[in-house]
Amino acid sequence: MAIETPRIRDTLHINMGPQHPSTHGVLRLELELDGEIVVSCKPIIGYLHTGIEKTFEAKTYLHGLTLTDRMDYLNPMGNNLAYCLSIEKLFECEITERATVGRVLLAELTRINSHLVFVGTAGLDLGASSVFLYCLREREKLQDLFEWLSGQRMMTSFIRPGGLASDFEPAWLLAVGAFLDEMPNRVDEYESLLTNNPLFKERMIGVGVLKADDAIAYGVTGPALRACGIPQDLRKTNPYLGYETYDFDAIVADAGDCYSRYKVRVAELRESVKIAKQALQRMPGGTVRTANRKVMPPPREELGTSMESLIHHFKLFTEGIRPPAGEAYVPVESPRGELGFYIVSDGSGKPVRVHERAPTFANVQAIPLMAEGGLVADLIAVIASMDPVMGEVDR
Amino acid sequence: MTVPAVSLAEALPHAVHGVSQDGIPYILVRPDQLVETVRQCRDDLDYIRWIDMTAVDELEVQPRFELQYMLYSMVDRRWLRLKTQTDGEPVPSIVSVFPGANWYEREVFDLFGITFEGHPNMTRLMMPDDWVGHPLRRDYPIGGEDVDFTVTRGVLGTGGGNELRG
Repeated sequence: MAIETPRIRDTLHINMGPQHPSTHGVLRLELELDGEIVVSCKPIIGYLHTGIEKTFEAKTYLHGLTLTDRMDYLNPMGNNLAYCLSIEKLFECEITERATVGRVLLAELTRINSHLVFVGTAGLDLGASSVFLYCLREREKLQDLFEWLSGQRMMTSFIRPGGLASDFEPAWLLAVGAFLDEMPNRVDEYESLLTNNPLFKERMIGVGVLKADDAIAYGVTGPALRACGIPQDLRKTNPYLGYETYDFDAIVADAGDCYSRYKVRVAELRESVKIAKQALQRMPGGTVRTANRKVMPPPREELGTSMESLIHHFKLFTEGIRPPAGEAYVPVESPRGELGFYIVSDGSGKPVRVHERAPTFANVQAIPLMAEGGLVADLIAVIASMDPVMGEVDR
Repeated sequence: MTVPAVSLAEALPHAVHGVSQDGIPYILVRPDQLVETVRQCRDDLDYIRWIDMTAVDELEVQPRFELQYMLYSMVDRRWLRLKTQTDGEPVPSIVSVFPGANWYEREVFDLFGITFEGHPNMTRLMMPDDWVGHPLRRDYPIGGEDVDFTVTRGVLGTGGGNELRG
């Protein structure tokens, strides 16, 4: 006799990651699947938690700078910049014209660097592997430029409290100019491979839609927010480093899907090239180090002739800089969104608290909103389009 | 970033008002006023965008922990810092007002040991689930835990919860 059992529609629980090529690091997603449909998606983070915010407590401010490179490792100079702006806010320290323009140039070069990785890996995740090689070809040139400038390819620590670590060589500026001149053609090349590619479009258009209200309530920032039709770019809304004097557009798309996020980032590549070129053209002369001796040590040649310089030099290298007591948060627009360091100082040489407002942290939290109800294969496109860097999520 | 201190003070008379060193206005409220104040900021004052939340542990000061929430007004294009203080007692959760606060409150619970009442999932975020202690507290030592090698497992056995794993 056959026993009739009611057919139960079972869901399947599956782990995606932490070691998965499409999770951009070590993001783990606990998925509940009904066939190919994602019923629920739970991001689990912490696999890259190295206690950077704790480590800051035992470091001087200058030592701490090297940690910021390692948070969002695709945007090292952007992190340096946000950290330095917060410290300079506490000091109320003026930085020189050349350092300001130089910082804009470096921030935009780093944005190009980061978006190149995005375009490459987004293609790679969806099966278009050749575009990855082309993007890394240009990224390699940028890394060479960074190495020439600072001695390091990625962890440059080049933007320092009070200005820049050293001045630009004229030949370096010329090499950057040559790189920027060829870049628009290269972007055309990537676009010819992806933007109108029917397979790429099918995987991206209408997939992983994020509503603007949700994005705002979840703190999603950067290209992911602008792809929902909200023109929120700190370079435009709350300009820093004189961004209001540069001619560029805040790129906005309106569909809120993966394809919009891709389009926003590709268009930002072109805008960054525009800004960097303007910065090169207007690069003023002078020094890149602030005259405020409480923030930056005096030049080497003064040490032999000025007692005061010698004392400043000694104090800075034995105790580090000492920002006045207080709290400061000065955010910048990183390639991934609003990035700022909340620094609390008690007036000593070591910070009481350094907290990074990491854009990816909020962006990853919103992944379930885009993934649930979609297909597993679409989840790959969603993660790729959010461009997460786990180093800054887990810190 | 100009600060119309009047309108904030008028709208929220129960709070302590001030401006931080970075020019961002702050308001300090008691924990029991927190949820209502956040709701007012969102609904009446247009601070609709969730930005950030964290805690600061000042060991010698009473109360010890200061929680600070950051909101952003899309209309006025400026930030607002909301503060509340606790000595380790639970604080009401604001996830019902800002869903984005979910992970931020879990992070503060994980690293500072402050519990949020009414949070849908008050579990650790960064550290392993069986970890003992809250690393970002000022009295939690740096380098206080043993490195977990196979050879030292069960031999040293004094780490901050490491011996519980595995």
